[in-house]
Amino acid sequence: MVINVQNLVKRYGDLVALDHFNLQINEGEIFGLLGPNGSGKTTAINCILSLLKYDKGTVEIFNKPMSPDAYDIKRNIGIVLQNIAVFNELTVYENINYFCGLYIPQKTKRQQLVKEAIDFVGLNDYQKFLPKKLSGGLLRRLNIACGIAHKPKLIILDEPTVAVDPQSRNNILEGIQNLNKDGATIIYTTHYMEEAEHICSRIMIMDNGKAVATGTKEQLKSMINTGEKITVELYQLDNKNLYEIKQIKDVTQADFSENRLTVHFIKGRHNLINLLGYLQNKDIPFGRVYSEPPTLNDVFLEITGKQLRD
Amino acid sequence: MFSNIFINRIKSSIRAKDMIFWTWIFPILIATLFSFALGDIDKAEQLDIINVAVVDNNAYRQNEYFNKALDEVSKSGDNQLFSLTYVSSASQADTLLENGDIDGYIIVDKQPELIVKENGLNQTIMKNFLDSYQQTYSSIMNIASNNPQALNHISVNSVNEIESFTEEISLSSNKPSATVTYFYALLAMVCLYGAFQGLSSVLHMQSNLSSVGIRNSLAPINKLRIVLYDLFGGFTVHLACLFIVLGYIIFVLGIDFGNKALFIVLTCIIGSIVGVAMGALITAATKWSEIVKTAIIICISMVFCFMAGLMISGINYIIAQNIPILAWINPAALISDAFYCLYFYDDLNRYFLDIGVLIIMAVVMLLGTAILLRRQKYESI
Repeated sequence: MVINVQNLVKRYGDLVALDHFNLQINEGEIFGLLGPNGSGKTTAINCILSLLKYDKGTVEIFNKPMSPDAYDIKRNIGIVLQNIAVFNELTVYENINYFCGLYIPQKTKRQQLVKEAIDFVGLNDYQKFLPKKLSGGLLRRLNIACGIAHKPKLIILDEPTVAVDPQSRNNILEGIQNLNKDGATIIYTTHYMEEAEHICSRIMIMDNGKAVATGTKEQLKSMINTGEKITVELYQLDNKNLYEIKQIKDVTQADFSENRLTVHFIKGRHNLINLLGYLQNKDIPFGRVYSEPPTLNDVFLEITGKQLRD
Repeated sequence: MFSNIFINRIKSSIRAKDMIFWTWIFPILIATLFSFALGDIDKAEQLDIINVAVVDNNAYRQNEYFNKALDEVSKSGDNQLFSLTYVSSASQADTLLENGDIDGYIIVDKQPELIVKENGLNQTIMKNFLDSYQQTYSSIMNIASNNPQALNHISVNSVNEIESFTEEISLSSNKPSATVTYFYALLAMVCLYGAFQGLSSVLHMQSNLSSVGIRNSLAPINKLRIVLYDLFGGFTVHLACLFIVLGYIIFVLGIDFGNKALFIVLTCIIGSIVGVAMGALITAATKWSEIVKTAIIICISMVFCFMAGLMISGINYIIAQNIPILAWINPAALISDAFYCLYFYDDLNRYFLDIGVLIIMAVVMLLGTAILLRRQKYESI
């Protein structure tokens, strides 16, 4: 096991930031910590890394107790922080070289690793740039390169895509998957459910310092009653028909606006057939039909009673 | 590992424009300002030779003692007080006085008399000279009439030995100067500004205050090693800045630092270490933000420099006399005093005492920093 956290409790005065938090991560996983801002994701990471004092619990990394001077553990950890952690007075190359140098003393080996990291994040054309000359997306890439240049076995990425344009975000997500393919175990904290769904092999949903659900995305979705959302393109629909659609089995909500009928179902069989059967029976012509399975936001909503981005 | 941290620290320090400004450009500007503002002070403190006319009448020529006394204070040299002009009549002397060619004139009748047109320092000195002569002359006449045998023990020349009671006495080959202390206090200020390097080094290890601190804290190296290597890099850059300022003050502004070059370098090195260590300790010991820590460092440095005489010359001596403990715990005063010792005293005992106290200060502050940073975890980040 790469990480084993048992009953972690962290308080800030009366506020319980982590409430008997448990976490087990296996080698080779991309593990997502998903939760709204203030749910305790970053606090959990900081406690796991021995940066923060905690009130109770145990933390083991690579099957050894974690502490501020557990250098053999730290040697195999890379961190990519939510805030950009680079020296503003050093160039892109010098920053990566400096942070890699804290792990790799051999100059030749380090130069090779720095080059690989620069290639990996695509900053070849910006090696001599100071951070202030980089765009937000490039800066995020530099931040990542500084955290992964020494090829750690465990990489912790704390909201690495905050305030990043879509193209850079895709590059970053693709890069994380490549790091995982190269053998690194990844912990990925985010409040973007799409990202977690896209890259994580297992996900923990956090709220108020607690782990409210853990599993693969399929397992998480199977935990809830919410079914798919079906959208049908229609010319028109009168209120009587809309009322009758709401009476169809397992329908929880139905709306019609801008030539679109949107129907929410609870988990059940034949929902699509039942809806389309009704429209055919009533001779209501329809166009394209879309069916969306429940999202992690639906999971979060059903478990906690609030939206993920509240 | 050392070279990685050390070299990157030097690069980042050299490129940190604000730090370079405060530790290099700002002191050069202040030194230049001092040079313009204080350049004439030493000169102004030197007494000019006073132009005096003497009416060369019979009474004067017959007064042998007074003749000799005037000759004594008119001899050319460092101690020359008067420049004498002999005139034949009082009316000629009046004309010179009216024209401003002389500050006063002496006419001898029964006793020497001083004629002046206005009051001033030069007139007071002339009057004091005459009073002093007459007192001494009267004393000898009294002794001659009451106890003539005692005259054997008194040289006639005593009457002529009229000297100032406030003669400038130097303890070394260098002249005492009121202005050099400003420059020494300025250099002490630059030394203490090394605190910004100390602040930067420790700040980059504090994960509750900087993201770089989190990264550094997660490195598989003892935190104190990183801080030490980083401090050494910061110290090197700061020392280079200090030497540039020192060179500017000595070679461009022409301020005299004496001729003990090695000890001057040693003072700069120790002073820089104290400055860097002070910044490191303040940063490690306080939990506030970087801005507050910077403000604290500036305030402490300025108070120390004020007490070392940077703003008001002589305040350091007043403090040393009345609250000596404040002088001993003030690194700026010790650094400034060390420079002054090198310039002014031939004996280096006091200098070594200053340096010894500074070294103790640096060791205590570095140890304090190490203890505070060791195994540091935070309540919140």
